[in-house]
Amino acid sequence: MRKWICSLLMLLIVAASAGAQMAAPAALNIKVGDSAPDFTLRDQAGKEVSLHDFRGKTVVLAFYVFAFSGA
Amino acid sequence: MKAFQQNLSKLEAANAQVLGVSMDSTFANKAWADQIGVTFPLLSDRLGQVTRQYGIYNDKTNMGRRTTFTISPQGKIEHIQVDQAAINPADTVDYCTRPKLKT
Repeated sequence: MRKWICSLLMLLIVAASAGAQMAAPAALNIKVGDSAPDFTLRDQAGKEVSLHDFRGKTVVLAFYVFAFSGA
Repeated sequence: MKAFQQNLSKLEAANAQVLGVSMDSTFANKAWADQIGVTFPLLSDRLGQVTRQYGIYNDKTNMGRRTTFTISPQGKIEHIQVDQAAINPADTVDYCTRPKLKT
C-alpha cells in the first residue's frame, strides 16, 4: 500500500513538472556559455552554409519569423 | 534584417558574421533579400529543425521566435536577445563591437 502511494506521488510530481515546463514557453533551453549547436542550411542563393564555416569569427545568428515581415 | 544590414560594416569590422535564419523557402529569402538589399546569408530552415535545436520553436503557433544569438569565435553562446528585444539589433551590435576585456 505504502509503495503504491509512493509511486502515485512520484507520478504526480513528474506530471506536475512536465506541466510546468509546457506552461513556460518564455524560458529558452539554450543559455549563455553553452556550445552553439552546429547546422548546415541553404542560403538565398541555394549555397550550403554551416555554422562551423565561421569558426574564429563572432557569429550573429538572427532568427526572424517570416521574410517580408518588416524589421 | 534591414537593421543588421545597416550595421553590417560595423559588425564586419569587429570580425562578426551575420546569419539570418527563418523557416522560409530559399526562394522567399532570395526575393526578400533582393527587395531589402540584404547581402549576408539568409538561411532557410524549412522544416524548423535548427529552430527546434535552438529551442525557439513555438509548438502552439508552429512558428519560430525572433531571437538573436551571438556566438563566440570558439563556438559558445555569448549573448541572447529574445522576442521584442531582438527587433532592435543595437544591443547585439554594441556587444560585438565593444572592446573585449578578457581574451
